[in-house]
Amino acid sequence: MKNVLILAGLLLIPSLAVFGQGYDTMPADARILPIGVAGTAYSDMELGVRGGTFTRSTIEDPKAWNANTAHETSTTRFTALMSLGLVNLDHVTGAIVPDLAKSYEISEDGLVITFHLREGIKWSDGVPITADDVVFSYNDLVLNEDVDCNSRDGQILPDGTFPICEKVDDYTVRFTLSTIYRPVLNSLGVPIQPKHKLAQYVHKLNPDVPAGTFNETWTLDTPLDELVSNGPWIVTAYQPNVSVTMERNPYYYAYDPAGTQLPYYDKIIDQIVANEDVQMLKFRNGELDVYGLRPEDIPILLPEGASKGFTVMITDDAGYGTTWICINQDIGLADGTNAEKRELYRNVEFREALAHLLDKDTMVQNVLNGLGAPQWTGLSVPSPFYAGRDYYGGPITENDAVTFEYDPALAESMLDALGVVDQNGDGWRDLPSGAPLTIEINTNDTTIRVAYCLIIQDDFRAAGLNANFQVVDFNTLVNVLVGGTGDIVQLGLTGGDEPNSGKNVYTSCGSLHAYRYSACDEPDEVDLRINELMNLGAGTFDLDEAFGYYKEYQQLLAYQLGYVYLCQPTFQFAYYDYVGNAFKSSPTSVAGGRNGLLTELCFDKRL
Amino acid sequence: MKRDSLRALGLAACAVVLFSVIGLAVDLNNIVANELIPEISKAAGMALVNDYTMKSVEELEQLAATGRTPGIRLAADRALFILNGRELELFEMDDATLLDLAKAGDQDAANMWFFHNRASYKRPELIEEYLLTVESDTLAIAAGTLLGGFYVPGSPLGAKTEAELVELAKNGENLGLRVAAATALTAIWIKDQPLTIDETETEILSVTLVYPELALAYQGYLAYLFSL
Repeated sequence: MKNVLILAGLLLIPSLAVFGQGYDTMPADARILPIGVAGTAYSDMELGVRGGTFTRSTIEDPKAWNANTAHETSTTRFTALMSLGLVNLDHVTGAIVPDLAKSYEISEDGLVITFHLREGIKWSDGVPITADDVVFSYNDLVLNEDVDCNSRDGQILPDGTFPICEKVDDYTVRFTLSTIYRPVLNSLGVPIQPKHKLAQYVHKLNPDVPAGTFNETWTLDTPLDELVSNGPWIVTAYQPNVSVTMERNPYYYAYDPAGTQLPYYDKIIDQIVANEDVQMLKFRNGELDVYGLRPEDIPILLPEGASKGFTVMITDDAGYGTTWICINQDIGLADGTNAEKRELYRNVEFREALAHLLDKDTMVQNVLNGLGAPQWTGLSVPSPFYAGRDYYGGPITENDAVTFEYDPALAESMLDALGVVDQNGDGWRDLPSGAPLTIEINTNDTTIRVAYCLIIQDDFRAAGLNANFQVVDFNTLVNVLVGGTGDIVQLGLTGGDEPNSGKNVYTSCGSLHAYRYSACDEPDEVDLRINELMNLGAGTFDLDEAFGYYKEYQQLLAYQLGYVYLCQPTFQFAYYDYVGNAFKSSPTSVAGGRNGLLTELCFDKRL
Repeated sequence: MKRDSLRALGLAACAVVLFSVIGLAVDLNNIVANELIPEISKAAGMALVNDYTMKSVEELEQLAATGRTPGIRLAADRALFILNGRELELFEMDDATLLDLAKAGDQDAANMWFFHNRASYKRPELIEEYLLTVESDTLAIAAGTLLGGFYVPGSPLGAKTEAELVELAKNGENLGLRVAAATALTAIWIKDQPLTIDETETEILSVTLVYPELALAYQGYLAYLFSL
């Protein structure tokens, strides 16, 4: 990389973006974000002033500027701010809200979703945004096999068909479904792209260009004045290995309640740096306004915050994903062995006893260095459907959490009551028949998982359970899990906002229903109810109704103790106090949307 | 390595707004030149670092070596650290070199070694154990400074009360623990601002000979007050 400095200078692409003048007056259909409005999730935020530069950093260069072909966060970090969809996830609550559309309605039979676009809003070059852009983006890009588009799969309905997208008039678009399927509403938030700029590169619409041309459109070689945005920002300069500059889109359609057009900042500069340590030093030296810090940064930054004027936010909010142990209720089923152990594992009271032996607080303290939160159910905490909320997208209250507190004495008495006692005097509890009971715990060789398992092993042993922890390689571990051959596996799953994405885990015939695959052929009442709830949740567009179904499924799951959840890392970040509204960041680093720093709402308090 | 971004880091260090005191520079220059109590002189020196970066490197090198008071020498040394891009230079050194420099008495090298290796000391007890056997004062101070970050109220691990920290700064069993307490106390006081400049100077006078690390805590706080 010795020539990077020279190369960067040669490849400097100057700011050439073609901007329109901006709106003369606020469009009638502008989106008003309720900043500072009491009773909303934005009530604790401040109205800002326009101006200034917001400086962040990243450790990866983007790969392109094309939102359809973007496959990695280094690219979506920018494209997500330039290509908004009809709907989006609310910045703060995570609820699905109209975005480029001003509203949508669903027919009584649930098979037609009609979107009404905001009239009078424009692309960053001043061209009106109309239904033609939506139909183009959906039919000619998302559903076009010639386009390397990773959002196509998410459009597939349960019967294998795709929604049919049609223009009704210049500001109305209709999607017709073959079956009611609520999750598709989220999927319809695909990026809307400018037909007037991009149709010429789509082979289907312009046979003069070769197939696949669109996939090479809006690459890093594209002059930046070719880019057009419907989001808050547009990239105006890129210097490889150095920085990406985005400037305010003069035609962005969101305003604050005082009538100030968003974003507040004039520009964002993303410095591209070598690694996270450089990010840390730059933040410390005042070169970056925000920093998504790591646990090891906290003891350095925490004492410096007051004197340097920054805040280290240590949140209690868990990020996406789940971590669990899976107690195999089918152990020995395939080869006709372990019948008594299987019967014991299938007894929910036994699993409950084990749950009382999981010292989640110690795991948080000793494994996650205090930067974690206990977990009790299978849906990620940030999801608006998370059962720790009282309603869809509501604040997390944990009012109805199903928890099994760490209580070894209670666990031991439960084991005693089940007849799982030491019958031969060797110090270990035996099966009720007197046969030895050994429990093997498996995970793969990652520091955190191993540490969890050592804690679990110790607590099981202290309660008289002959538990043995074994590290196996990941592929073996997965085979143990999905093959239904082990005792207990400790692993985790990634997660998202949509509960239906967990259908393969929680429904009785799901491919990852690893705690009891036999439930596919022999579902019990709880399995059947969870299956029903998952279908009910996907089969209604009433989000509050769906929330009720998903809350019940999460609670049933927690009581069922198939997967027994452990804890999840929380997230931390730091920001200089002059950045207004920066405190409202969220778990992942995708900027500008639900899951990142709310770039369009931050502002410079010094102005 | 993206050297241009590192270079930018070094340059930007010049602009670090640690204690900006342009409006009070005259008074502080008087303090730093005439104050007899070292901690007060150094506090003024810390608050004058940005001003000192306006001086020539030659002048600073002379002041750092032969300045009349500890405060002048400190201000010159820190200004040179910025102007010479020393942070970048240290950042790019390997750990073995840093360790050698640290053991030879280079405090900045010791600090950078701990910066590089802080992921190995993610829990306070790991640093406390390290401090039982550390052989060099520079490494003890660097470790203690990192440990102090755990002791600050609000830290997810290891947070201590102000009273506990005062006791530890006075009577901690080793230098690193006392420095850790001092680091955390400074942070607390900067946040809460419990004392005026005069009161802080009085406290320094009362502890400087008996509890040097407690005096160090007051020194850091006083530097902040000087900067307001």
